[in-house]
Amino acid sequence: MRLAQHPSHQVDYSKSLNFIFNNKRYKGFEGDTLASALLANDALLFTRSFKYGRKRGLMTAGVEEPNALVSLEIGGRYTPNLKATEIMLYDGLSAVSASNPNAFDLRAFIKPLHRFMPAGFYYKTFIKQKVWAKVEGRIRAFSGFSKAPTVEDVDVYDHIFHHAEVVVIGGGAAGISAALEVLNNSQKERVILVDERNQLGGELFNEFSSDEAAKTWLKDSVNRLLSFANEDSERFTLLTQSTAYAWHDQNFIEVLETITTAESLTSSEPQKARKIVHRIRAKEVILATGAHERPMLFEANDLTNIMLSQSVRRYLHEYGVISGKKVVIYGNNDSIYSTAKDLHVNDIECIVVDVRSSDNPIEIVSELKDSGVKVLQGYSIVKALGSHRVKGVEITQTKLQDNNWQVFGDTQTIICDLVATSGGFNPVVHLDCHNGAKTYFDEVSQSFLPQQERDNREVCGAVAGAGAWQDAIIDAKNKAQFTLNALGAVSKLKQEILSENYSNYFNVSQFFTPKEILNKQKVFLDLQNDVTTLDVALSIREGYRSIEHIKRYTAMGFGTDQGKTGNINGIAVAAELLEIPLSELGTTTFRPAYTGVDFGAMAGREIGDFFDPQRYTTIHDSHVASGAEFEVVGQWYRPWYYPETGENMHQAVHRECLAARTSLGMMDASTLGKIDVQGSDAREFLSRIYTNAWMKLAPGNCRYGLMCNEKGMIIDDGVSTCINDNHFIMTTTTGGAASVYSALEMWLQTEWSDLDVHLNSVTDQYSTIAVVGPNARKLMKLLCQDVDFERENFRFMQWRQGTVCGVDARIMRISFSGELAYEINVEANYGRYIWDQVAITGEKWNITPYGTESMHVLRAEKGYIIVGQDTDGSMTPMDVNMSWILAKDKPFSYVGRRSFSISALSAEDRLQLVGLLTKDSSTVIPEGAHVIDNKGKSIGYVTSSYFSPILDRSIAMAQIQGGLAKIEETVLVKIVQKKQGLKEIPCEVSSSVFYDIEGEKVDGND
Amino acid sequence: MLLIHCPYCKESRDQSEFSPAGEAFIARPKSPEGISDEEWADYVFYRTNHKGNHWEQWVHTNGCRKYFLVERSTISHQILQVAPFGARNSETEL
Repeated sequence: MRLAQHPSHQVDYSKSLNFIFNNKRYKGFEGDTLASALLANDALLFTRSFKYGRKRGLMTAGVEEPNALVSLEIGGRYTPNLKATEIMLYDGLSAVSASNPNAFDLRAFIKPLHRFMPAGFYYKTFIKQKVWAKVEGRIRAFSGFSKAPTVEDVDVYDHIFHHAEVVVIGGGAAGISAALEVLNNSQKERVILVDERNQLGGELFNEFSSDEAAKTWLKDSVNRLLSFANEDSERFTLLTQSTAYAWHDQNFIEVLETITTAESLTSSEPQKARKIVHRIRAKEVILATGAHERPMLFEANDLTNIMLSQSVRRYLHEYGVISGKKVVIYGNNDSIYSTAKDLHVNDIECIVVDVRSSDNPIEIVSELKDSGVKVLQGYSIVKALGSHRVKGVEITQTKLQDNNWQVFGDTQTIICDLVATSGGFNPVVHLDCHNGAKTYFDEVSQSFLPQQERDNREVCGAVAGAGAWQDAIIDAKNKAQFTLNALGAVSKLKQEILSENYSNYFNVSQFFTPKEILNKQKVFLDLQNDVTTLDVALSIREGYRSIEHIKRYTAMGFGTDQGKTGNINGIAVAAELLEIPLSELGTTTFRPAYTGVDFGAMAGREIGDFFDPQRYTTIHDSHVASGAEFEVVGQWYRPWYYPETGENMHQAVHRECLAARTSLGMMDASTLGKIDVQGSDAREFLSRIYTNAWMKLAPGNCRYGLMCNEKGMIIDDGVSTCINDNHFIMTTTTGGAASVYSALEMWLQTEWSDLDVHLNSVTDQYSTIAVVGPNARKLMKLLCQDVDFERENFRFMQWRQGTVCGVDARIMRISFSGELAYEINVEANYGRYIWDQVAITGEKWNITPYGTESMHVLRAEKGYIIVGQDTDGSMTPMDVNMSWILAKDKPFSYVGRRSFSISALSAEDRLQLVGLLTKDSSTVIPEGAHVIDNKGKSIGYVTSSYFSPILDRSIAMAQIQGGLAKIEETVLVKIVQKKQGLKEIPCEVSSSVFYDIEGEKVDGND
Repeated sequence: MLLIHCPYCKESRDQSEFSPAGEAFIARPKSPEGISDEEWADYVFYRTNHKGNHWEQWVHTNGCRKYFLVERSTISHQILQVAPFGARNSETEL
């Protein structure tokens, strides 16, 4: 119900907005939240509860809301599980309850059984009985949360980084006051003020109708802040509708800004960022995060229209909305009288029920009584009446005796349609605790206050215990002086005097937790997860003592609201039942994020093409034109195979392999890592990091090297070329290029800084084209006239400088296939040209481009390892049968050498790389299949497996325990087939060299 | 996410530009063949995993690519000081 217009309302009655909620049309006004607009339309039901399917309505007006979860918009704009209290209304908004309160719900139907569904019910009933997998889907459908999005998010999200001297979190009275104090007393310090709401003021709007001074102060202060923001935007940044959701080490604060405008959300194309994550690094932090009201506990306290007292006030003052005509205001502190006064002023009938006795009369009580408001002191609500919406309350007398609450006497019934409760206040200490602060229980304010002293941080206002806004302002000024002092902006601290008892949260009494109420059913603590006082009692009976364990057993505070309204009451209940003081029990741990953060906002722009770099060689377009299929290696897009019309991968690879073995193939090898190594100690450096000898490698020659780490495990391999005595070009594996480069830099910078060696990554600077096959020499002679290609003059593992088709080139005679092969290296930008020239010139030998798949087959036929496929970081050179590459007489103990003599590395049962030949030559074993012994136990696994076209049979490589001693033995490989099930394939262990065992092919036949 | 001061670039930059590179002052034994398996294992595998102020190596991977020394509290992640390599024998007792 909307009240008559009043200038203190923060909605613009001239701007009417249309929106849809649960398929019904409604009207609201600019400045409304979705929650306030629905209350104004008397649409009170929002959701079905998580476990019992109870119908629930709004409890709060802010971020702490446990019930009113909705999904916003549809399709690519869909966002699940937002709180209706946080969504600013815009024209054309559409939202749906997380779980529709008006639909039939089986859980509500089986109501009589609810008492058999306590905490642990699902676990004991389904998981322990091992039937969870069968019922999980159906139970999850009842979860009370929105459905997950099904289509891609079309919105744009941004990240913005800030640096500031001071960040003030919270834009209520205290935050505004603190920000102004800093700005007014410093010259160049940058200040950022963050507030989760769309306008500054926090709870101050609640004072407007009764306190003209509050109105004046806020208007004046906000104007001053805005003029700072406009005139000195370098110094002051104001972030509204922005929630600081995490505070990390070194005062690194993350803020989520929500931008909702009708234009941006209802148009089909995203206009600008929907949400922005601000990442702020601050020198000093001022926390003015305020406090959340906590509810009072009584039976059926979850009925619709039982709300928090300050929230009722906020709906009334800011939006001119009230959801009842006869209100019971109930609580344990003086703030309830302010609510009563405001309602009374607006001609709404109300009755105040205060658990505290009338021993200490205060002015406002007699004022209210005089004006005709009924005030019952020393009474408590024991039960709310009604099935969905509250229809009345049962009250009884109560008193505090020896620190124990007692309820006694007959119950009376009060008819009402709205209950506003206040059980005290919980300071919003979440962010402080994210960053490692502790809380302490303060008896006076009956709350967990933030740790008092901390470096680079001040707390002020309600989060520090201040109740009245006037005190919050002074407190904030005083604390800001400390901040200014820490920054060196002021040397003499100005401190104003605060009123006495400013931090007692309106004379709050101790938690109202009499056993008579705690033992009742349906006294809800956590409304989102349906946790009651009986659940906490059960967890204690089951033996849990730590609040962290009680939380996990009952799931209290596990919801999207993170128990902002219920947790502290739950802790008080547990303390009462355990009969220990609250200070001893403590709180659960506060962890980021304070409120939900969209995945889209976390990802920002780093999605799609911006998720990871994509690297292409300069020859890429030619591969695309040839119809190549690509695979991603590292970040490189490498041709995988080149299918001709109608060919599948197997057929293409078969053709490509035979071409390279019998005539001529070509491959783009540009992605191999290339590191330029220069300096007078380059040779010494290579011999320290590779296992073999490098001192005598003459210019004009190349050498294969194997690189280990200090643990003695293979990390990389590749060919290095000696350009001259002070200059080598090292090649690495495609995937290992970056990590090898980093490792080499580390050795040079941290251990061998005395070596004269300089490194440079030149992977992108050269294109490498491999020409492979028995006709390679003939082709090279046509391509390059200034190099002598005769067999005895340009030998295997040598390189020559020459001119290929007019382009300067380094030609290496190296081979990863066992065939006669040359690698032509040219400046990268000539890559495409040379590739095309090679292809045209090679046509007479039917030159065939091949991709990574054929490369793998060709190298496996020769038993060449691929580091990372046939090795896994736990393989030594001995394990892959490459002891020949370990130099015996190098003076410097090269990297990894010492580890080879550790006994574990020569154990007989180490996994060793061997070949496997299936008895049935047509069977190709799947890679990863396990090799088993005669007892069925795994003794290793297959690392590489292919069908070899030249051998016309399958070949495989495997790591097998003690494999090198098992050559010619028969082992079994166990595989799972889709239809036939498990199958054991007999294989012969062999050498891993399958083809051209003598190595005769490498010289070609001409 | 830490803010790290690179002693070479002389700027405080976001942690995403840097990579950690293990505990500092783990010197490679001068004569690996001359020491016992235990001493070698101590160098290769064992680290102090210290709780408190701790010297470690970082590298400015997406910057100058220099390795340098960082003293960091492993409790609060506060960075107490940074130093280039070779500063070990200077006035500070690194």
